[in-house]
Amino acid sequence: MLLRVVAAAATIAAAALLGAASAEPLDALIEQCAQCHGDGQRPAATPETPTLNGQPELYALYQLVYFRQGQRKQTAMNDLVRDLDDDTLRALARWVAELPDAPPDQGEPDPARYDRGAELARQHRCPVCHNPDFAGGEHIPRLAGQREAYLSKALKDYKAGHRIGIQAAMVELLTEIDDAGLDDLAHYLAHFRP
Amino acid sequence: MIAKSAKLGLYALPVVSFLAAAMCGSATAQNKGEEVPFWAVGRPAEGPGAKLAPVPSPPIATAADKLPTLSVPDGFKVEVFASGILDARGLREGDEGTIFVSTLFTGGGKIHAIRDGEVKEIATGLFLPNGIEFRDGALYVATPKEILRYDKIEASLDQPPEPVTVFDDLPGVIPHGWKFIMFGPDDKLYVPVGTPCNICQEDADYAKIFRINADGSGKEDVALGVRNTVGFDFHPVTGNLWFTDNQRDWLSEDMPLDELNRVTDPGKQHFGYPYCHSGIMTDPQFGWGKSCEDYVSPAATLGPHSAPLGMRFYTGDAFPEQYKNAIFIARHGPWNRSQKYADVSVAFLNDDGTVKKVEPFLTGFVADNNYLGRPADVMVMKDGSLLVSDDFNGAIYRVSYGG
Repeated sequence: MLLRVVAAAATIAAAALLGAASAEPLDALIEQCAQCHGDGQRPAATPETPTLNGQPELYALYQLVYFRQGQRKQTAMNDLVRDLDDDTLRALARWVAELPDAPPDQGEPDPARYDRGAELARQHRCPVCHNPDFAGGEHIPRLAGQREAYLSKALKDYKAGHRIGIQAAMVELLTEIDDAGLDDLAHYLAHFRP
Repeated sequence: MIAKSAKLGLYALPVVSFLAAAMCGSATAQNKGEEVPFWAVGRPAEGPGAKLAPVPSPPIATAADKLPTLSVPDGFKVEVFASGILDARGLREGDEGTIFVSTLFTGGGKIHAIRDGEVKEIATGLFLPNGIEFRDGALYVATPKEILRYDKIEASLDQPPEPVTVFDDLPGVIPHGWKFIMFGPDDKLYVPVGTPCNICQEDADYAKIFRINADGSGKEDVALGVRNTVGFDFHPVTGNLWFTDNQRDWLSEDMPLDELNRVTDPGKQHFGYPYCHSGIMTDPQFGWGKSCEDYVSPAATLGPHSAPLGMRFYTGDAFPEQYKNAIFIARHGPWNRSQKYADVSVAFLNDDGTVKKVEPFLTGFVADNNYLGRPADVMVMKDGSLLVSDDFNGAIYRVSYGG
């Protein structure tokens, strides 16, 4: 006996059915990704857009699913992936994982801010999940070398509860860090040297 | 289809993962933003062990044609019973043949019902609603916080009733707070409360199984020193409660061994946690001055960090005679160990109620040390076949014999 899941049972299934009819060729989608996020060689087009180099496949897949379901809100991303089917999201996540690991260099850090950020990272146990080299893994994002403005925005979004997603814990972790501290943390992670 | 949800306040998160769950609950709070998440307390600082963490499932259920190819002993057959149920965990069958499926971490707090080939969502947004049970036409759902009852559920799958709260005297904390529940032959509902940590000092409110009347009254302890059981059942002949128990993390790659236990004297027996593990080893921190002889030894051990979850006695007539009253056990597989393994094992018992042997039954969940699937619960259907849920793939398999 093989049971069929009715589409209404899950938004995923509904999205998958829509996507099957309207999916764009994968190459064209990837070109759209690269226009904003960079293609692994050049950085993302705007400071608040994350570079995707070195992001784990499962993390990328989780974010794509959150964008599709609307749990993570960013209009351009929500619009782009809303109608994509499961296999297309899997293929995009694989593309992300196959980009070169090393993000484009962020230049020299401000030593004082770097040290303050390092202390905050140690105090708040960031490496427990993101690993001591901040390369992430599985469903945990890479932080090392990420765009500073994006990291700063992401940390503030987590703190404000705008990005619950997989890490409800991030809200709690960041509650006691003020905006200047979050900026220092972003500066440290963007310029991280092992 | 109408989705119902209970009042959850801050817990009503759209999606909760193992890590999220693990990290936002902790037994010992000083400054919450500076705690090590409970699962990581005791993790080695260096070496391969330093990289171990709970294994995440994909955020999308696997399509039926991409599920792993599983193996069963000669004469048995395994097929896909349902797919596309993200995070499928607990299984129960209603009087009219509805299969109820719970979810835990990534499943959006949903409860599903499979009926006439359709999967219906009957609840959503619940708080880690792993534990389900069916009795007298009602579906019971246990979260770490409370036990709910949906009356006459099979007659109202498209428009489920508002749940009645049966019981809410529970700690409500996340670490090991999610539940497995089952009615015993005494018509009482058996409810576990896991320890709120990896390993910590004994506390009367945790690390035990208790039972209540169906209306939530008459709470009494059944088994003590139980670290985290997520599966139990009652022997079809003796009525004894048997349960699987997940032992502590980070002791070593190969110790401790997870347990299959038998309760013969309800309320009087202590099963060792946090002092003695696997019946053979005192804990390096809490075991000084203690002796394993003072605690009930497991009826069988089930492998290091094997994470035995759902278990059921085989009460059907469709399998060969030797399986009658044997125990099927879903071994979810370790995260707290470098070398991975997972299967549904079967424990055969001797006439005196001791365990004769435990051997793999349904296999094929691991390749190249990566999980292809992870069994979470097992259930004997009325027709004698065995259902197995796989929360990694969001699928349910059906094992039958002959034909």
